[in-house]
Amino acid sequence: MSEEQNELLLRHLNGQLGPNEEAKVADLLRGNAEARTFLRAVAEQAVVVADVERLDQHKPQTAKVVTPIFRPLKWAVAAAAAFVLLSAFVIATTPPRHTAKVIAVLGPCQYIAADGKVRDEVKVGTLLRVGDTIRSRSSSAWVKLDLNNGSLMTIAGRSRLRLLNVDGRRGFQLANGNLWATVAQSAGAKPVSIQTPTAKVEANGAQFDVEAHSMSSIVRVNSGAANVMRLADGQSLDVVADHQVVVSPRRSRPFALTRQPAPVNEWDCHLIAGSGAVFGKWLQPDEKNSVRLGASPLLIGKKTTVFMASFSVQCSSSPPVLIESGSRVRIRGTTRAEGPIYFGITTQRIKGVFFGKYTAKIEPEALGQAGEPWQIEVPLSQFKPKTKHLPGSPAGMELTDIWVVSREENAELEIHSVKFLPREVGQ
Amino acid sequence: MSQRDRVSAAAWLVVRNAHTAEDIFQNVALKAMTKEVQFESVGALMSWAFITARREGIDWLRRQKNEPICLDNTILELMEQEWADEAAAGDIRGQALRDCLEDLPTKSRDLLKQRYFDGHACEAVAEHLGVRLDAIYKRLSRLHQALKKCIETKLEQPAS
Repeated sequence: MSEEQNELLLRHLNGQLGPNEEAKVADLLRGNAEARTFLRAVAEQAVVVADVERLDQHKPQTAKVVTPIFRPLKWAVAAAAAFVLLSAFVIATTPPRHTAKVIAVLGPCQYIAADGKVRDEVKVGTLLRVGDTIRSRSSSAWVKLDLNNGSLMTIAGRSRLRLLNVDGRRGFQLANGNLWATVAQSAGAKPVSIQTPTAKVEANGAQFDVEAHSMSSIVRVNSGAANVMRLADGQSLDVVADHQVVVSPRRSRPFALTRQPAPVNEWDCHLIAGSGAVFGKWLQPDEKNSVRLGASPLLIGKKTTVFMASFSVQCSSSPPVLIESGSRVRIRGTTRAEGPIYFGITTQRIKGVFFGKYTAKIEPEALGQAGEPWQIEVPLSQFKPKTKHLPGSPAGMELTDIWVVSREENAELEIHSVKFLPREVGQ
Repeated sequence: MSQRDRVSAAAWLVVRNAHTAEDIFQNVALKAMTKEVQFESVGALMSWAFITARREGIDWLRRQKNEPICLDNTILELMEQEWADEAAAGDIRGQALRDCLEDLPTKSRDLLKQRYFDGHACEAVAEHLGVRLDAIYKRLSRLHQALKKCIETKLEQPAS
């Protein structure tokens, strides 16, 4: 293999070649085992370099222990003073270890260690280190993390968060899902970095939330400020309190700061527009329904699959939706086998952090005959909190999303309309 | 190389991003854990893992709205087969590579870090280091060759 051939392969990896040169690379690799060996070596070295760097940046700082040596009193006092000063200096300049501790957890979650080991049960006290991933696996699940410096993060629903080391800073990758972050202001500390498939968010002293999907991220800042970069072109914006930004991978889409709209008290997911449905599969329209979203299977534990469709307020481009004491959830759909289904809502504080999940069980009798369309309206009072610490009603909170779940595959759950309605007049 | 390094490297060839490759490896490990079927041999498991990693990589590229620009399947399959055939070397090659990286001068290690850990394109690395793009390709090419040679030398040495 000549050096030119090696460089050609490196240019190929850098995505720099035109079609003719790419064809040359393909021919070279088909016919030359050495070229393949070189390319495999580059790939191995690339992933091992990343692995070694990741581990290196995570090595705990070791403090030198000074062995005291007997000296006359004045030297002992001087040595002690120097030791105290040195220790103070070491403590002040040692960056806090980038770890996150699980301080609350509910529902099916999963922990994937950096080395690929998987644990299907996540307990309070689990410590995450750089490279580790935590997943909340169903709409009713959530995990709260303490970042070791007064900062807190919560992921909920189907979310996946990984700890990264970004240029020596605390970093996170939110591959998908919802995250609420309260990043404590620390003097001299570098901002926390959160990467989604389309954006990079950096903050130091801010409360914000992020909803991440493969084709968009929505960042809302409620206090402080966060810098948001669109990965598609590197443009960035400072998002200040009460403002939000939608980040698409398409440069043609606007990337602009907008004020968070005032909350409303009703929401129609407008399935026909499509963007509000964040989980499920689109089905062909039939004679009765022009819009049909089928529930998709979701593995929530060993041998446990549920069938779910979910709908996000933010993704539907709606203003924030305020939950009132008489609010109602109205959903239209069909099921093809008898069995209960479950409605769920995720709530957060108005301009604030994650609050909790509430669910309502819909008995088969309420759904009528299998195969026939149903319309179910559930008042807020029938939604029960998923954890004991939550108040009985989420009135006064903001609606984040609504989901519908069936445990039976043969129910073939499908949804045709999702509405959140205000209390009835005179109520 | 360990199986983890090999599967991650195979994914890297598709996505060209070490962190995404690591994510893909984690997904593959997860799928292997939750898969109902049993694999008859380590070879069968590895073959399945390579194919799954490749598919996940291509899916990831599509989700990024990038047309997959990776090599065609026949070439990737050939390379995956070669990786599978080398499995007998076990983890010692991976450890040798890690040892060789430790021995690299800071400048060289920094170049590798910028390109593969930070994920910068060669153009950005050249700009950052204030050198021409051609020089970056030359340096990288020599570094990769040197590391490959270093691994071979370490593997030839008798175990102490």
